[in-house]
Amino acid sequence: MATDDIEITGAEPIEVETAILAARTERLTPLYDAAVKTFVWGFRIGAALLALGVAVALLKGEPLGREADPIAAVLGEVLAGNASGVIDLAILWFMLTPVAATIVAAVSFWRLGDRRYAALSLTVLAILGVSIALALNR
Amino acid sequence: MTLSPDLVFSLEIGAVAAVAAILGSMLGLGGGVFLVPILTLFFGIDPKFAVGASAVVVVTNSVVGSTNHLRIRFTNPRLAMLLQIATATGAIAGALYGVVADPRVIYGVFGAVLVYAAVSMVARRERTVTAPPPDTPDPLRLGAAYRDPAIRAEVGYIPVKPGWGLGVGAGAGVISGMLGVGGGVVMVPAMNLLMRVPVKAAVGTSTFMVGITSVATAFVFYSQGFIDPTLVVPAIIGVFLGGQIGSRLTRRIRAQRLALLFALILLYLGASLLLRAFGIAMPGQA
Repeated sequence: MATDDIEITGAEPIEVETAILAARTERLTPLYDAAVKTFVWGFRIGAALLALGVAVALLKGEPLGREADPIAAVLGEVLAGNASGVIDLAILWFMLTPVAATIVAAVSFWRLGDRRYAALSLTVLAILGVSIALALNR
Repeated sequence: MTLSPDLVFSLEIGAVAAVAAILGSMLGLGGGVFLVPILTLFFGIDPKFAVGASAVVVVTNSVVGSTNHLRIRFTNPRLAMLLQIATATGAIAGALYGVVADPRVIYGVFGAVLVYAAVSMVARRERTVTAPPPDTPDPLRLGAAYRDPAIRAEVGYIPVKPGWGLGVGAGAGVISGMLGVGGGVVMVPAMNLLMRVPVKAAVGTSTFMVGITSVATAFVFYSQGFIDPTLVVPAIIGVFLGGQIGSRLTRRIRAQRLALLFALILLYLGASLLLRAFGIAMPGQA
C-alpha cells in the first residue's frame, strides 16, 4: 500500500492508516518548526516592547492614553520617545504575530507542494487584510 | 506611600485578568469568557472597550499557547486554515456589528453564550475517537496524527463533515467578533462532537485558530478607537501570569471535579448579563 510516498506492509488496516496519517503529519515538520519560531519570537519581541513601554511610562511619569493611536501615528510616537507609542507598537506587534504565522503557513504549504492549502492560507490572509485595512484607514 | 489612582486601577485590572485566566485555563475556555463580564459588570467599563481589550488578550494568549500545541503536533494546520476562512469572515462581520451594536444586545448575546457554556460544561461528554477505518474518505487531506503521551501511542484521525465545520465556524466567528472571546467555547465541542476530531487535536487546532480569529476582531475594534491601553496592558500581563498559574493548577487539580462550581460561576455571570440587557444590575455590581 503506497500513499504519501511511504509504503507500509504487514500491519493491521487501522494501524496502517494511522501510520500513513503520521507520515503525512511528519511531512509538515518545516511548517510546524517555522510557526513555532514565529510565535516564540513574536511573543518575545512583543513582551520586550511592552516591558520597555511600561518602564518608560513609569520613569517619565507618563500616563497611558485611553485610546491607542492610529497606526499611521504610532511610529512617530515611538521616535519621539513617548511610552504610549512603544506600548501601541507592542499591542500591534502581538496582533500581527498570528498574521505572520498565516504567511508562514502559506509559504510552507507552497514549498511542500501543497498548493490547495497554500491558496487557503492566502485566502485567510486576504480576509485578515480587510480587517487590517479598516484599522489603517482610521 | 500612596499609589496613584491610575496605578491602583491597573493593578485591579491585572488581578482580575489573572483570575479570569486561571478560571479560563482550568476550563479550557480562554480568559475572554470571564474577562469581559467582570470588566463590564464589576468595573462598569463600556462593553466595547472590554471586548476590544479581550480580543487583544485572546491573541496574546493564543501566541503563547499555540507554541506548545504546535511542538507536540496537536495542531492540525490544514484543518485550521480551512475552518479559519469561515471563522475569520464571521469575526469581521461580528466585530463590524459589535462596534455599532446597542450594548444591551452585547450583554444579551454574551449572557446567552455563558449560560450555554455552563449547561454544556455540566453535560460535557467527550467522545472517544477511534483510529479511522481504512475506507474513510479524506478528499481534503485533513487527516493527521499526533503522539498522545497519556496513552503512549500514535493517534490518527480523519475529520468528517467539513461543511458542517465551516458552518459552525462562521457562527463561532460572529460570536467571537461581537464578544471578543476566542470562539474555542464553540469550536472545540464542534470539532470533537461533529467532526470527530480527538479533543486534544481539537484544543490544539482551536488554540491556533482563535489567535487568527481574534486578530480579525481586534483590528476592527482598533479601527473604531476601542483599544484602550490602560485596560489592554494590565490585562495582557494578568492573563499571561494567570494562564501560567492555571495550567499548573490544572495538572494538580482535576478541573472536571470543580465543573459544578465553575458552571455556577458561569451561570451567575450569564444571568447577570442577561439581566443587564434589560437594565437590571444585581447587588454589588457597577
